[in-house]
Amino acid sequence: MRKRNSPQTKSNQNIKREHDSIPWRYLLMTLVCGLFLIVGFFFAARQHFYSIDYGIKNSRLRKQIDELEAEKRRLILQKEIALSPGEIKKAAKKIGLTAMTASNIEAFRSAADAPVKPKTEKISIDKTPEKPSDAKDAIMAANKPAEKIAKAEKIVKPEKKTTDAKDKTQAKSAK
Amino acid sequence: MLVVAFFILWIGGIGVRLVHLQINQHEVLRDKALDQRRDQIKSRQLRGTIYDRTERALAMSVKVKSLYADPREIEDADAAAKIIGKALKSKPNEIAKALKEGKETGKKFVWLARKLDENAADRINEELEDRSLRKYDLPRYAGLYWREEQKRSYPYQNLAASVIGFSNADDIGSAGIEQAQEEVLHGAVIKGWQDRDRLGRVYDESDTEEREPPKDVVLTLNHSIQYKADLALEQGVKNSNAKSGMAIVLDPKTGEILAMSNYPTFDPNRYTEFATENYSNRTIHDIYSPGSVFKLVTYSSAINENIINPDNQVASASSFIEVAGHRFTDHHSRSNMTYHDAMAVSSNVTAIKTALGVGKEKFHDYIKRFGFGKPVGVELPAETGGIVRSPKVWQGDSLASMSIGYEIGVSALQMATAFATIANDGERVQPHVIKEIRHADGKIFSATEPQKTRVVTAETARGLRKMLREVVLKGTGKRAQLNGYTSAGKTGTAWKFNPKTKRVDASKYISSFIGMAPADDPKVVIAVVMDEPKSGARDGGQVSAPVFREIAEGILPEMSVIPDANIKFDQLTAQEIPAEIETSILPENERIFSLEALESEETDAVENNVDQKEQKVSQKEKPNAEIREAPKEKKKEEKTEIKKEPKKEPNREKPPEPDKKSAKPKANAVGQEKTKSDQKNKSSGEKTKQKT
Repeated sequence: MRKRNSPQTKSNQNIKREHDSIPWRYLLMTLVCGLFLIVGFFFAARQHFYSIDYGIKNSRLRKQIDELEAEKRRLILQKEIALSPGEIKKAAKKIGLTAMTASNIEAFRSAADAPVKPKTEKISIDKTPEKPSDAKDAIMAANKPAEKIAKAEKIVKPEKKTTDAKDKTQAKSAK
Repeated sequence: MLVVAFFILWIGGIGVRLVHLQINQHEVLRDKALDQRRDQIKSRQLRGTIYDRTERALAMSVKVKSLYADPREIEDADAAAKIIGKALKSKPNEIAKALKEGKETGKKFVWLARKLDENAADRINEELEDRSLRKYDLPRYAGLYWREEQKRSYPYQNLAASVIGFSNADDIGSAGIEQAQEEVLHGAVIKGWQDRDRLGRVYDESDTEEREPPKDVVLTLNHSIQYKADLALEQGVKNSNAKSGMAIVLDPKTGEILAMSNYPTFDPNRYTEFATENYSNRTIHDIYSPGSVFKLVTYSSAINENIINPDNQVASASSFIEVAGHRFTDHHSRSNMTYHDAMAVSSNVTAIKTALGVGKEKFHDYIKRFGFGKPVGVELPAETGGIVRSPKVWQGDSLASMSIGYEIGVSALQMATAFATIANDGERVQPHVIKEIRHADGKIFSATEPQKTRVVTAETARGLRKMLREVVLKGTGKRAQLNGYTSAGKTGTAWKFNPKTKRVDASKYISSFIGMAPADDPKVVIAVVMDEPKSGARDGGQVSAPVFREIAEGILPEMSVIPDANIKFDQLTAQEIPAEIETSILPENERIFSLEALESEETDAVENNVDQKEQKVSQKEKPNAEIREAPKEKKKEEKTEIKKEPKKEPNREKPPEPDKKSAKPKANAVGQEKTKSDQKNKSSGEKTKQKT
């Protein structure tokens, strides 16, 4: 060991000894890095499993979309079958509609051209088919004028009675 | 030191091993790892949809599931077959046999059930669930897997079946639009991969290649018009007991085919159950002699060339004409007859004289201009071009024969197009059945732009329409009169050639009516052709004209065409119109009917080796023999019957007819037709003796 040539008179109280702080630093650094590494590993693992999990969910959703699209197509197909002319004809017959003909078109046109009459106006009946008030009636009237007339007659009959009654009262008052 | 050395060696060994695995064994191990977790998948894109003009799907594909087995993974084939057979409701023996055979031959793939719908697949999944098995995919049964396939469906069944066609089990178009537009509709096979975890769950997937999805095809057909045409045609074929029938509804202004019907037809959903003849679209595949409807071309050429004026009287109208030793006769020629009248009564002699005036070359030129002799160009497979010979190989009487619709072969679509040309003021618009082709996202890929060519002048076309109007008003086409609309058209009745006897068969007809409505500004052209009508009257006016009327009256209101004639609200019946049968005369030379002979002639002509003598074949029937005529006694009976019935108002747009013509009860009238046909059948042996 080398002898230091320090003066004997000089106090060594203020002399600070050098500390060997490197191991602690390394230790700390290693610890921090280790922690980062471990956290990083955990983080990466978590991300990995999350990604797999999301992948599985994504795959399920994609499959679901495919299934829903397939279902949509199946429903469109069912709708097309239900809307095929044959099926519509059956349904139309059930509710009493008849096929569109030139006579129906004329009935529609006349119905559209006809002025709107007030409800209180009397209904006049002749042997020609009356002008229908709405589309369904137009079709019915065009094809079943006799039925329409009979129906209209039923409506009118009570009105006739009321007019007769009015006439009677007027006659009485005149007397 | 020793420890350090050992440590270094250990680390070094690991490093070397890592280098070996990562560099030398990289490919092998990578493949092994991928093989464990990754599946290759193949899926086919759904075939494109076929729509009608109103966006209704006429043909579309849906996803279905097919069940298959990997026999290597099934240990006990018999036990498995029992369970699978129960679930599939099929015979276990057959399944066991298939599994065993597959196992023996080392097959990885055996079909068990194909193209099942979702409900059936769910039911099978439930029934085949093996809870002891750790399997992620359905069905949870060892060795069984689902494969996604697609099934082509035709929701409207036999509606326009011959136009749409069908695709076979491998989803390849085999007829109609399905075949013609295979490239557009076909769904490509897409390869991809799926990564699975240890439980078999998919956590990553992707396609290895991007393919353009198939396109959709939009047709010009209207499903409702098509339905009405189909219905009317079917009824017409059944009423006349015809072999087959065809009908076309065409928009003359745009060339769009609104309906194309064939009967008998088929259901493309189960096409294997039908005869292959029914697949044919006869409107473009069949060639026939058009008969009198071809007079349209004859008069068109003459009027356009200013050779005749329809309002003028026919010069020296006679009941026969002899051309190159061939005597053509008819009953309709009379004195003081205009060309309007000649067209109305379908006078053969007048038509022949007119064509002779036009001349060979010009007449042939007009035939070509109208589009005969080559395919119309509609987007359907195997369209015929018909038969039109060059004037160089025509014989002496060929021009005369062609002027009345013989010695020429046409398709129904060609004939309808010719009438559409007249309906469109002389401008021919190429008929087409595809409106547009578009991408799956709705963007238009291509839209059809039809070719337009001027054939005759607008004035000529208008003149012809007037002539055709006369046919319906007072000629052979009275049954084509419409309720609420004016109509114009022409009847045609032609004998068929019998290839067995190599001569015309007087009992077999092609009866047609081609017309348009409304007469002044036609919105539709309708062609109806009946092949071999057998019951009742068999001429075009009686067989096909009512079908025309049925179709026209059904579709015109739907097309929002405003009625241009008187509308009668009473139920109209064809029987109310007096039966005015187009008198048919057997030709002296039956050669003119033979289409096969025409084909052979054409070949011979090329070789300059025409042998006319061989072409002439004798016929049993005498020339000019009238084909059908009701006995006078029966007619008297009918008249007395009519008088007994209550009188009805004449309810057509035609000029007022005598009372006996105007009203006739339906039942009686039908009976009358029946008696007429019966008499006709009875007198068929005598008909050749009847001379006019």
